[in-house]
Amino acid sequence: MKQFTYVITDPVGIHARPAGLLVRTAKAYESEILFEKDGKSAGATKLMALMGLGVRCGDTVTVTVTGSDEEKASAGIEQFLKDNL
Amino acid sequence: MDYRKCAQDIYDKLGGRENLVSAAHCATRLRLVTVDNSKIDLKGLEDTEGVKGVFQSNGQLQLIIGTGTVNKVYDEFLSISGMTAATKDEVKAAAAAKQNILQRMVKALGDVFVPILPAIVASGLLMGILEGLSNAIPGLTESGTYTIFHMFSNAAFVFLPILVAVSAARVFGGNIFLGAVMGMIMIHSDLVNAWNVASMTAAGQTIPTADVWFGLFDIQLTGYQGHVIPVIIAVWLMCQIEKWLHKHVPEMIDLFVTPLTTVCVTGYLTLTIFGPIFSTLETWVLNGVQVLITIPFGIGAALMGIVYPLTVVCGIHHMYNVIEAGMLSSGLNTWMPIASAANFAQGAACLAVALKTRNRKFKSLALPSALSGFLGITEPAIFGVNLRFVTPLIAGMVGAAAGSVVAYIFGIGATAYGVTGLFGFLTTTGYTVPYLIELVVTFVVAFAVCWVLYREKEEETEQEPKEAQPEQPAVTCVPGVVYAPLSGTVIPMEEIPDPTFAAGVLGMGCGIVPDGSEVVAPFDGTISTAAGTGHAIGISSPDGMELLIHVGIDTVSLDGKGFQLLCAEGDTVKAGQTLMRFDPDVITKAGLSTTTAVMVTNAEDYETVQLVKTGAVRPLEQLLEAKVQCPV
Repeated sequence: MKQFTYVITDPVGIHARPAGLLVRTAKAYESEILFEKDGKSAGATKLMALMGLGVRCGDTVTVTVTGSDEEKASAGIEQFLKDNL
Repeated sequence: MDYRKCAQDIYDKLGGRENLVSAAHCATRLRLVTVDNSKIDLKGLEDTEGVKGVFQSNGQLQLIIGTGTVNKVYDEFLSISGMTAATKDEVKAAAAAKQNILQRMVKALGDVFVPILPAIVASGLLMGILEGLSNAIPGLTESGTYTIFHMFSNAAFVFLPILVAVSAARVFGGNIFLGAVMGMIMIHSDLVNAWNVASMTAAGQTIPTADVWFGLFDIQLTGYQGHVIPVIIAVWLMCQIEKWLHKHVPEMIDLFVTPLTTVCVTGYLTLTIFGPIFSTLETWVLNGVQVLITIPFGIGAALMGIVYPLTVVCGIHHMYNVIEAGMLSSGLNTWMPIASAANFAQGAACLAVALKTRNRKFKSLALPSALSGFLGITEPAIFGVNLRFVTPLIAGMVGAAAGSVVAYIFGIGATAYGVTGLFGFLTTTGYTVPYLIELVVTFVVAFAVCWVLYREKEEETEQEPKEAQPEQPAVTCVPGVVYAPLSGTVIPMEEIPDPTFAAGVLGMGCGIVPDGSEVVAPFDGTISTAAGTGHAIGISSPDGMELLIHVGIDTVSLDGKGFQLLCAEGDTVKAGQTLMRFDPDVITKAGLSTTTAVMVTNAEDYETVQLVKTGAVRPLEQLLEAKVQCPV
């Protein structure tokens, strides 16, 4: 299991478009990727759930990656967050 | 395997009948929707004999049972669970929907014609107006502007077979472009124009012929301008051939073989078999009506009034010009008043339908069709309205008979041909009052008969519950169907002005360019996301569909300005319930597009997500249809 935290810097947070791209990125990996904010969690492949987290600018999200390619997935997601959010 | 035992074992582990919402099956799986998944004994289900696997997906409980057995288990399951009643009723309803061949043919004719009505109505009205004006204003036909508008007015009629063919191909499930080709073949410019055949024959000119079937016989090379029935028959045949070939030709060579064979076979059969049969029938009818109108005491005229609309249905009426021309050469045209009564009566019957129907969409169709009929162009009224319900057609025939008798009594004659209906006054200047009486009698009889006899069928009024009763937003939701959440114009997903939506990153769906300011629930469901900024709503249905309604592009940047959410996360909503109001002006003033994306975000759970509506859409019309994926 890999876990890291990330502070959202995008002014509008995880809204539809980045959420869609995030889902696409997350689907490329075997591992289960979980986003958590304030006790609520959402699978990174579930668009609605991700948007339902209501992540805004300045919020901290905890990302948990579990699975066969967790090293790669974790790095990939972190890179995605830095690039997009 | 004991299907009943298997079904019973499954049923016992589901937490009772009241926990069951719906049951369906696909090729391999039994798909159940339950109220509370925690009441299900999953472990027990996995151990049940006959159940090869259990998993939960999109709110559905799916049990893998296997091809060929799942349907039998399903049947037993229905009988055990008592869920049969609904299904049997559905079967009953389906049986009631079965109609006889004639009814289905009439319906097909209507289905083909309704989509092309705007084209016909535009042409018909313009044609009526131009013909009237040219009779009222001498010398008008010399003007260049008239020539141009005259061209506009008859374009849709000259190329009618192409319009009909495209529409018919869509109705019969063929390729619409191949359909268009069939239509083009039938009015190809190398064929003699059907409108000119009569006058050419009268003038002693020969119609070119071609020998066919290796010299077996000759056919006349004449086109099918103005025809409807032969085109529909040809396209129907084409669709059968095309579908058969698609099924039997190996996919690799399908694109080479199927279209080529379809066009060649259908085209040849049409021109060499249908064509001659049809033109023979046409000649018979023409000879027949000429005998008919010679029957004395107005009986002939009355009969002709009755038959006339039927000949319009068959597309033979254009041959009448030759009769009228013949009459004019030796006196007055007494055919025209009959034609006029027949046309006017169809318009009157159509008007009765327009005034009586409670279906708004139908009203908007019937009104201009009736008007066009009064101007002498009856195709919209006949094909779009009267033929579909038969009663108005018959009412029109009765009215026509009455009017024709009046015309016979007064001996009304016209000085030209081609103009009927209201503009007919211009060519019957010697009989203004009698002609007026004729039209009034025609109108009153046709309208009254239609008004009394025409009964609105249930399905016509209930087709669009939202439109009929705008105050009651209730629709019966069909699983997998997304009803339009707002009014506007539908655009394909690819045309949404945002690459992320257009590329399908957020799911499959479409865009709506709104013309209102309200978003309603597209089905019964639960609000899964209501963005804090108010511009996007996620809703999930009990059968597991997740839908995102994203109002405007980049509207997240407005941070809620111009948006008013009327629902909250977790709310249970009914289809048609208002979920959000937005101010389109705020969006446009910010330089953003109001195009609203309607996306099935879990499109991967479906085999296809299809757009079933194009163009203008009103709230709660069917918009998208998702078919359940079913891996074997």
